Amino acid sequence: MKITIEGLTKKFGEVTAVKDFDAVIEKGQLVCLLGPSGCGKSTMLYMLAGTEAATSGKIYFDEEDVTYMAPEERGVGLVFQNYALYPHMTVLQNICFPLEIQKVPKAERIERAKEIARLVHIEEYLNRKPSQLSGGQQQRVAIARALVKKPRLLLLDEPLSNLDARLRLVMREEIRRIQQETKVTTIFVTHDQEEAMSISDVILLMKDGEEQQSDAPQTLYDNPANAFTANFLGVPAINNIYGSVKDGRFHTHDDSAVIEHEACRKVPEGRKVAFAIRPEAIELAKEDVNFKAYLVHTYAMGKEELSYMNVGTSEIRGYLPNGTEVDREYNIHLKEKGVFIFDEETGERYA
Amino acid sequence: MKLGFFKKKDKEPKVEFTKKWEPFVFLLPFVIGVTIFTIYPLFNVIFMAFKENFVLLTGKYTGLGLKNFELVLKDRYFIQGMQNTFRYVLIVIPISTCISIVIATLLNNKIRFMPFFQTAYFLPMVTSATAVGLAWKYMFHYQYGIVNYLLGLAGIDPIAWLTDVSSNFTALCVYGVWNMLPFTIILLLSGLQNIDKLYYTAAKVDGASTLRIFFRITVPLLLPTIFLTMVVNSISAFKVFHELFPLWSGQPGIAYNLFTVVYYIFYQFRGLTPPKYGVAAAAAVILFIVIFIFTRVQMWIQKRFDN
Amino acid sequence: MKTKNFIKYTILYVLLGIGAVFMIFPFFWMITGGFKTSQEIAAFPPLLFPSHFNFDNFKFALDTAPFAKYFVNSVVVTISSVSLSTLTTILAAFAFSRLEFRGRDTIFALLLALMMVPFEMIVITNYRTIINMGLLNTRLALIIPFTSSIFYTYILRNFFVSIPESLYRSAKIDGCSNWQYLWKVMVPIARPSLVTIILLNSIAAWNSFFWPMLVTNTTAARTLPFGLYAFMTEGGARNEYMMAAATIVVLPMMILFFFARKYIVTGVSKGGLKG
Repeated sequence: MKITIEGLTKKFGEVTAVKDFDAVIEKGQLVCLLGPSGCGKSTMLYMLAGTEAATSGKIYFDEEDVTYMAPEERGVGLVFQNYALYPHMTVLQNICFPLEIQKVPKAERIERAKEIARLVHIEEYLNRKPSQLSGGQQQRVAIARALVKKPRLLLLDEPLSNLDARLRLVMREEIRRIQQETKVTTIFVTHDQEEAMSISDVILLMKDGEEQQSDAPQTLYDNPANAFTANFLGVPAINNIYGSVKDGRFHTHDDSAVIEHEACRKVPEGRKVAFAIRPEAIELAKEDVNFKAYLVHTYAMGKEELSYMNVGTSEIRGYLPNGTEVDREYNIHLKEKGVFIFDEETGERYA
Repeated sequence: MKLGFFKKKDKEPKVEFTKKWEPFVFLLPFVIGVTIFTIYPLFNVIFMAFKENFVLLTGKYTGLGLKNFELVLKDRYFIQGMQNTFRYVLIVIPISTCISIVIATLLNNKIRFMPFFQTAYFLPMVTSATAVGLAWKYMFHYQYGIVNYLLGLAGIDPIAWLTDVSSNFTALCVYGVWNMLPFTIILLLSGLQNIDKLYYTAAKVDGASTLRIFFRITVPLLLPTIFLTMVVNSISAFKVFHELFPLWSGQPGIAYNLFTVVYYIFYQFRGLTPPKYGVAAAAAVILFIVIFIFTRVQMWIQKRFDN
Repeated sequence: MKTKNFIKYTILYVLLGIGAVFMIFPFFWMITGGFKTSQEIAAFPPLLFPSHFNFDNFKFALDTAPFAKYFVNSVVVTISSVSLSTLTTILAAFAFSRLEFRGRDTIFALLLALMMVPFEMIVITNYRTIINMGLLNTRLALIIPFTSSIFYTYILRNFFVSIPESLYRSAKIDGCSNWQYLWKVMVPIARPSLVTIILLNSIAAWNSFFWPMLVTNTTAARTLPFGLYAFMTEGGARNEYMMAAATIVVLPMMILFFFARKYIVTGVSKGGLKG
């Protein structure tokens, strides 16, 4: 099912949680709503589920306007952060519950529940109570319960945040697998960019209730629309050197360093900007020298070394070949990909 | 699309999980009961207390005023009732609290036969005070009661617990303390169980003796619970009344010497012909005021210790 | 160190033992008294045990004084008033915890304030209300004033509030009605609290004395505790009969206590200070 969101806004009194949000989610995609906590992504999810009412704007499921439709009529499945399993019911009863409400005959209920249980790999635990399951298993039950009624849309609210690091990796793969097997359109809320990058078809990046950018994860990374996107994605984070462009060259504010780069041409002279470099864009120069950096410290990472360098008074991180000698200056070259210039105040991208 | 699910109120759409009629239906049975048997009588009794020369059958009264209160406060039975009630509270509460602190502390150890001790100490809480009161009446019997027999073993002359005006009150207090213990012990015990065991470990490491630990750690940390228990018990002790029925066959003491506040109320509207409803109501309002004050104290203590 | 511990525990058990005897003795005396003959019960020095266990006194209490009738009344009144009040409590607690309506929290706060009103005060009017309803000397008079309990509603509402709201939202997305949610999710989860409430309420109903004394003058509607009292005053009955009758009154609650001790004790310790 295709989802179209038009100018969606949600206000809680004076606070605007979601502001004038537009998006189109294609059928069968797995979309991540990504953003720092408090950015309105959960509110977005609840508006799609129908447990929060939009202040203004429209939501369409395919061509149908569902903005003010009751949740049970939307055909959505929602998985909560704390799973919200019914503690007094067994796993099977939990999964059957949505069908029981829909008055599906008992035999059919159980058959469908078992089928879903096989899909999420919990068929051995059908007679247990939620308290007898591990976090990952509870998560699977919650997903099974959301899927059993064959929803048009599956919503997951921070589904992995209650799991430990190892399980998180496993469940992330599982959610991807289950989504691909069922082909259900899925929206997944998270604040973890790594999680979002690894499983989604499309990331909707949000900040303060506003959409920042929406694209495929790699596009978002390679081609950020603004400083927020560039800074939010990537581990280690992108390097920012602050300064301005004079005579076609980038000068840091305190004039401690100069960067020569063709991107500088696209920047209005004298404007305060951030020169942003992805760590992996840094390499030792053979011919073209963009700037000089003083190597302070390195950490062995196996294949390469994570290196801390000073560019004038700014510190940057990059990857250099093993055995690069510290405490001396190097000529640095920047690769084509991963170099951006943003306005320091507005975050607008110049290059 | 289901209309009316989302309600547009003050231009702010809101999800309505509650249908308009639902609160009404869910609350109706409860509210009917509370209205007829708590709210209506509350105002009715207060109003009645101010009606002068009220005759219930005709519903007529000569005016509104404080005459009923004047009658109550001048009535020697009411004064006696107040005195007895306060005396009862002041004697029964401290004694039962002290005994309960000791018993609760002892029960808070790792001991054997816990089910037996729990049964022994908590059973009176679930049994009819009237029925057990009859057993006490038998135990207090002047000639063949076990109490006088035991006193005789200690060389004390038999006491006419129930049939002599001077001993009536003591018998009532003994029975009252016995009645109050289970509830008090349970509350104090749960208070004790909420004290962090680390305090005891620390004190033992410092070499403090058992008695020292009791007075320097247990009692101070238990103090909020002790206070609260005392207030709650005072409220129920202030309503002392049905204890009188098994012991003196419905009289307040052998010679109408053990009036209590609640017995006075009961006596005015049920023991007299014709019943004096206005006087009973005025006494009830006074009871309410006293209990109101106790409750404020309880809330004040709760607030202080919560912070 | 070892001898010190031994002394400590000896003192502990001796003190606890003395206290336990003091607490339990009236029950012992009541039950054995019920088996004593009229000579034995008035014996001095008192006899700890009857010479033999005969049930004549119990037979007399059940047949001559209509304790069998009282027993049935007690059962009927307790079951009816507890079921009705449990039902109103569940519905009201749900309304105050999950339904949304204007003034909900204000109304709830006012109800809490009403908990201060002593029953001994409002009894004056309630007595008249029962007379005006023409219910004097009926079992209904013992039931209907106790169908709504503010205290238990307060306790249950607090438990309902502690059930995560995400369960409610989740059920709502599945199309669960409030009525279904209450009975399929909330009530099963709240079962331990409900059991405690039902137990404490049953104990109070069974032992109730003051109210039955006011509204039941005839044997037809009397329940056990007031029946016992009436037996004593009207019949000038003898002590051995009284003890047998008192045992009949107390025994069901004793049995209940043996089976549900943990529920009762934790229920009292949790609810006690809030009342």
